[in-house]
Amino acid sequence: MLVRRLRFPKRLSTCSTASDIHTQHYDVIVVGGGHAGTEAVAAASRVGAKTLLITQKIQTIGALSCNPSLGGVGKGHLVKEIDALDGVMGQAGDWAGIHFSILNRSKGPAVWGPRTQLDRQRYKDFIQSELLSTHNVTILEGSVQDLLMTTADPEKPGRHKVYGIRLAHGGGEIHSRSVVLTTGTFLSGTLFIGQNTSPGGRMADPPSCAGLSHTLKEVLGLKVGRLRTGTPPRIIKDTIDFSLTRIHLPDPSPTPFSFMNTHTHCKPEEQLPCYLTYTTPGVERVVKESNQHNSHIQQDTKGPRYCPSIESKVLRFPGRQHQVWLEPEGLTSDLMYPQGLSMTMPPEKQICLIKEIPGLQRAKISTPGYGVQYDFVCPTQLFPWLQVKSTQGLFLAGQINGTTGYEEAAAQGLWAGVNAGRTSLSKPPVSLSRTQSYIGVLIDDLIGRGVTEPYRMFTSRAEFRTALRPDNADLRLTLRGFEEFGCVSEQRYNEALRVQVSLNDALSALKSIHLSASRWKYKLGDVNISETKSSILNGVDMLQYKEVSFQMLASAFPELSGLYLEFSERLKAEAIYSPHCEKQRKEIERIQAEESLYLPEDIDYLTLPVSLSQEVREILDSIRPSTLGAAARLSGITPAAIVHLFNYVHRNKHRNRSKTVGVS
Amino acid sequence: MHFISGWRRSAAVITAIRSLSVKRLLCSVGSEDDTIFALSSGQGRCGVAVVRVSGPASAHAVRSLTRGFPAARVASLRSITHPQTRELLDRGLVLWFPGPGSFTGEDSAEFHIHGGPAVISGVLQALGSLPGLRPAEAGEFTRRAFCAGKLDLTEVEGLGDLIHAETEAQRRQALRQMAGDLGRIYQDWRVRLKRCLAHVEAFIDFSEDELIEDGILNDVDTAVRQLQTDMENHLSDQRRGERLRSGVQVVIAGSTNAGKSSLLNMLTQRPAAIVSATAGTTRDVVEVPLDIGGYPVLLSDTAGLRDTTDSVEQEGVRRARQRVEQADLSLVVVDLTQLPSEPQLVPVFLSEHLKNILEPSSHRQQCILILNKSDLSSAEHNRSIQASLACSADVPDACFLSCHTRDGLEDLLTLVQNRLKTLCLCVEGVVTH
Repeated sequence: MLVRRLRFPKRLSTCSTASDIHTQHYDVIVVGGGHAGTEAVAAASRVGAKTLLITQKIQTIGALSCNPSLGGVGKGHLVKEIDALDGVMGQAGDWAGIHFSILNRSKGPAVWGPRTQLDRQRYKDFIQSELLSTHNVTILEGSVQDLLMTTADPEKPGRHKVYGIRLAHGGGEIHSRSVVLTTGTFLSGTLFIGQNTSPGGRMADPPSCAGLSHTLKEVLGLKVGRLRTGTPPRIIKDTIDFSLTRIHLPDPSPTPFSFMNTHTHCKPEEQLPCYLTYTTPGVERVVKESNQHNSHIQQDTKGPRYCPSIESKVLRFPGRQHQVWLEPEGLTSDLMYPQGLSMTMPPEKQICLIKEIPGLQRAKISTPGYGVQYDFVCPTQLFPWLQVKSTQGLFLAGQINGTTGYEEAAAQGLWAGVNAGRTSLSKPPVSLSRTQSYIGVLIDDLIGRGVTEPYRMFTSRAEFRTALRPDNADLRLTLRGFEEFGCVSEQRYNEALRVQVSLNDALSALKSIHLSASRWKYKLGDVNISETKSSILNGVDMLQYKEVSFQMLASAFPELSGLYLEFSERLKAEAIYSPHCEKQRKEIERIQAEESLYLPEDIDYLTLPVSLSQEVREILDSIRPSTLGAAARLSGITPAAIVHLFNYVHRNKHRNRSKTVGVS
Repeated sequence: MHFISGWRRSAAVITAIRSLSVKRLLCSVGSEDDTIFALSSGQGRCGVAVVRVSGPASAHAVRSLTRGFPAARVASLRSITHPQTRELLDRGLVLWFPGPGSFTGEDSAEFHIHGGPAVISGVLQALGSLPGLRPAEAGEFTRRAFCAGKLDLTEVEGLGDLIHAETEAQRRQALRQMAGDLGRIYQDWRVRLKRCLAHVEAFIDFSEDELIEDGILNDVDTAVRQLQTDMENHLSDQRRGERLRSGVQVVIAGSTNAGKSSLLNMLTQRPAAIVSATAGTTRDVVEVPLDIGGYPVLLSDTAGLRDTTDSVEQEGVRRARQRVEQADLSLVVVDLTQLPSEPQLVPVFLSEHLKNILEPSSHRQQCILILNKSDLSSAEHNRSIQASLACSADVPDACFLSCHTRDGLEDLLTLVQNRLKTLCLCVEGVVTH
């Protein structure tokens, strides 16, 4: 029997100081201790790499810089997948969550969004003790001044090669086979508040060293762009009149994120509520008055479309009420987080604005909201395993790739960590298809299309979403995570195997029950099956009816109860989607076949002696798709171009064989 | 952490691709399970059109459209009917090529049919109505042939160019269609469809408390149903849209040797049809696209209608009758010299004659009577016939014509033009509703 309980963070201190670290050689160095960095460190160590995490401040490892919440629609899918690959985020959420709810519950389970409010301190504590106690991981407080470059390995794609980092302030060099950069908003970060701008990645934290930006742009020649984001002021809880807001209660029975947990750390009755209030015309007035004193809003850098500042909301949609959610920052915290009020106006104006909102008339601000602009690297310059194409050993993850959100960052961090670890151990890199996971969709969108604004995950981005559900992330990823990627523990693997066997048994048992419609009505009672339906229906067919639950079937057929009851919801989801998933199977196979055809990395599309239009050449040259499938999906690539391209590759296969990188 | 290194069974099934398989790429572009069809003889007017079908459901397609399954690789004359409506589409040659000995290596079939746009689109629509069949993508037949190992790599070099040419042709065709009223309709559909998609995506992407309007799914449902109705109406518009695209179908009909082919030649101002004094010269339908007063017209000359023992001529007569039935406008040519000598008997005679020619169709109002060879009859006699016809309600609009002297041509053209105007107005009125 498996131990199915929450893992409690262990307090171990294995932190290194700069003095004893120089002589060491690491497999992987991860720069940055945010959500991408921490998953990258954990993942690299899971694949067996000796890993070093370098962060400016150990105490901010795992900090939630913005909203105190995790998951949601699309994002919750990512958390489930991270957990299925044995990542840290899901378990941390279960440990630190204080208000669990499944969003979209009125819709199909494929688009349910598991979400929780977090206790900031608990979340950070969990992540820190998890990393500090991880075998193979060393943590170093410091700043990275630059990457160490050497001659590229001619046998592999790429013109440059990274072999470590140089620490700032004369801290010396540290060598490694791979480096993962997760700089978040710190790469050339600039903070905005009112008309003041100052260098920084987060309030009170300096940006990363200029040398790093310089190397990426000037030495490696990477195309770099600029994005912005912002965060709202934090409000002192005692100064809020909650009677003027609407209370929003969590689910009475919290659902944990992790497949390894049966319950959350927070007891159901200990959960805290959120509160809903709205903006007023007064808010609009303050925004307009303060506009000229707000340099962030006047910039034309692209901000997050789905998490806009109150300034952009009011200016874009004037005359409307906008929601403001007041979210707890922790069980014992005296602060509330006003979601929807991200702003960059001068602090005195922020106070004026807050006072225009019902419930906040007497509210006090503990820290004002502010904006941040930062550099990102155009992600079309990455391989599907998140390595920079031009640079051997260099991996990027998180906001540096143009995404927004903790979950998006963590998903990339995990995947970059797995591959940085594998590469450093001379194992071939691995990639995830968009037909198999939201992580695959995320990465495929980033590297195939690039970004023009911060990228956020949505269920609508996944064309095979009926198969990529939060409930089945373990079946999709845990088994492969153990067998192919090597990033999943044996314990988790065994649990996923047990689930798979049980589900298959239960489905076979259901399919073996065949009854006529009238017999089913007799057995189940009040079920709306049309009487005229003369055909024989099996148990899975019946489970597709909205009002039929697995529990109902189990009480009608004793052979179904017992072990299977714990999978009631999953069986229901399997039944609902099985006809649709079957229809999509062919399309999935087609995409997978195309994705298995790799294009050599050294093709010079501009001079390729093949009949291609200049337009097509330029598209191929700028995106440099890894597979013919990816090439075919690019807009502007004609079917004829694909055939010519393919033909060329085929003719030159012998010459290119050694240079072709192939991944299943 | 709770695990130790070394436990991992690293079953990396990752291998470098040794040889990129041409077949896998090309075959993966479309699903091989589909059966595809297309007009293989190229767009534009031609005497014979070839519609090609390839894929596992080819035999089913042949069985659905014809009766009596043809022997392999032998041309067989068959009636081609619509599988659902049982409407006769054409009579033509059907060829059956069982795989793997076919061009594509799959089961395939060819329908050699008459080249008129109505016949072609009728057959294509009939094939499209069968489950598992879909129109072929550009170059897909060649691609399948390649997958089956029927082409070598040199031929594949050409495949890219072929696909390019075909997509270009499709693009130009689409551009032509998008320019006019049809384009406006399609654009409108596209906008509505995108709005539905956006609403559905917003519905799944944003949770209940994120201010998505209530009932948005119901609204989308209604909108999609309306769109579906609009599309179905558009497709079942009795070929009015097609008439706009391919021209109004005008047919010349009448007894043998009434001067039908002479009329065609006069209208087309070139000897498109063979004219001779021998009755029964025109045995098949002759089609000429024309522009009459700015209206696109597909003018067809038919075999003279008479009872005959010549089997080829019999087939011509049958086709002539069918064409009259399908026409938007019939020009019935009558030899003035064959009319009864008493003018007052002419209306009854013509009425009977028209019944014979236009039967079984009943659209008499879509008919213009042409009394030909007016030069062989006295002007006075013609006037009294005209007076007699004017009193009769049973006879449609008539005009006197001499194909020999071209007398009466202007009057005929004015009459035809007015009819076309009505026909096309009705078309445009419907299409742009």
